[in-house]
Amino acid sequence: MKPHSGRLWVNYLALGLATACALFGLGLLFLILYDIVSHGLTSLSISLLTQDPAGPLGRGGLKGAFLGQGLLTLMAALVGVPLGVLGGTYLAEYGRDKKFSKVIISLCDLAMSLPSIVIGIFVYSILVKPLGGFNGWAGSAALAVIMVPLVMRTTESMLSMVPWTLREAALALGSPYYQVIIKIVYRQAASGILTGILLAIARVAGETAPLMFTSFNNNYFELNLNRPMPSVTVSIYQYAGSPFDAWIGQAWAAALMVTVVVLFLNILGRLLVKVKKA
Amino acid sequence: MSHEPAEAELKDLITIEELCFFFGDNQVLKNINMPIRDKSITSLIGPSGCGKTTLLRCFNRMHDLYPNNHYEGRIRMENRNILDKGQDLIWLRSRLGMVFQKPTPFPMSIYDNIAYGLKLKKITNRSIVRDLVEKALRQANLWTEVKDRLKESALGLSGGQQQRLSIARSLAVNPLVLLFDEATSALDPISSAKIEEMMVELKKDVTMVVVTHNMQQAARISDYTALMYLGSLVEYGETNDIFTRPKMKMTEQYVAGHFG
Repeated sequence: MKPHSGRLWVNYLALGLATACALFGLGLLFLILYDIVSHGLTSLSISLLTQDPAGPLGRGGLKGAFLGQGLLTLMAALVGVPLGVLGGTYLAEYGRDKKFSKVIISLCDLAMSLPSIVIGIFVYSILVKPLGGFNGWAGSAALAVIMVPLVMRTTESMLSMVPWTLREAALALGSPYYQVIIKIVYRQAASGILTGILLAIARVAGETAPLMFTSFNNNYFELNLNRPMPSVTVSIYQYAGSPFDAWIGQAWAAALMVTVVVLFLNILGRLLVKVKKA
Repeated sequence: MSHEPAEAELKDLITIEELCFFFGDNQVLKNINMPIRDKSITSLIGPSGCGKTTLLRCFNRMHDLYPNNHYEGRIRMENRNILDKGQDLIWLRSRLGMVFQKPTPFPMSIYDNIAYGLKLKKITNRSIVRDLVEKALRQANLWTEVKDRLKESALGLSGGQQQRLSIARSLAVNPLVLLFDEATSALDPISSAKIEEMMVELKKDVTMVVVTHNMQQAARISDYTALMYLGSLVEYGETNDIFTRPKMKMTEQYVAGHFG
């Protein structure tokens, strides 16, 4: 018997177990993707994007839901991205090494793992109930609340990765600190921050629970944020639970669209990092 | 100036008087007194942790970026005390450039790296900026290597070129003094030699203070040398004297390589 065969055997066992677990997880993931793609493709048609919803027997679409989701996400990004980037800048630059910043960073991590339905209920209690009804602003606000800690945390970690000597070099030239941040540190961290923003958008683009309590849904085309807004994810939820084949088919097709958009955003984010390294 | 002063009559550009520096309660510099002579190279040598980099960073007040430290004493330059609380640090740092151990190219083109400091000084006229960029790159002996690719990213240059770029960037804002913090220790011997050669040429325009671990380098390029040990100045004098007939026993031992 070779002296190392025992250890070698344990190594193969561990490797085999780890590989099996990885394959199991990946297998489930591919199963889900296969399900979405196969069901989604059969019901996918251009009318999904161009038609208003129709009754369970008609050939309608979810035009309003796609536009509504886009608008909600855009409004959320308009608020969430600047707040997140500026907050992250404070944490990594002005508030670096301060106790206050460390507390905020821990709270960010907590907020990132909070179930999104909690955020939905929170926004419901401050922007839906007092205003007397579901509205688009509340939906955007809920998505923005989800985005801020995500963007803040990635911005903070990307800025922290910029070597400190680069800042010193710019300061040693007689540059004021705010200019060092804007012209040099942001530039160095740009692709990382952009990736973080894209991933945060991808994350909120697939959210359902916070929207059900805030913007709710609307069967009509609606761009007025004061009224309930249609969204793809809530529509999927409602259509998928309906007894009508046409609606269930549309839910599959919409799910495929959401998956593709999120996948696209993720790939774009990864490409950005690669471009930077090259 | 109409005439070149002989080496012995170089005037003092900076005088350090009773300088002490503290990180928190820890005193890192102890009662330093020495001059920095105009249009010359002064080397700061000494074993690791002796305070030479700390001293260098007092000149442009880099320590002010970090909390819990304070200065005592004076560093006089142009009739003012650099260490004054009310000192305009942005002005000060544009008068004393600094080159770091690792090259620090900004993530932008070669041209924009040099023009960065000019923009800070509100020099925006394109042809003036172009001329100053060329002048700085020539001073740093980098012009011929990069003149055809000024618009390319500075991150694509070699380490030695990046370091000369950092020097050119500091020179562009026309400083009185350049501070070198072990600026050649991360470079290969050829790149290092190019920078030494450039520094000797630069003496006609700028005063230089150089922190170095390389004693041969100090002996080759500097006019004056200061040996520091445990935060104190052991001996300051003309480089020749420090290396050939030091007054202090410790200096003799250090330059002979007996400790450090």
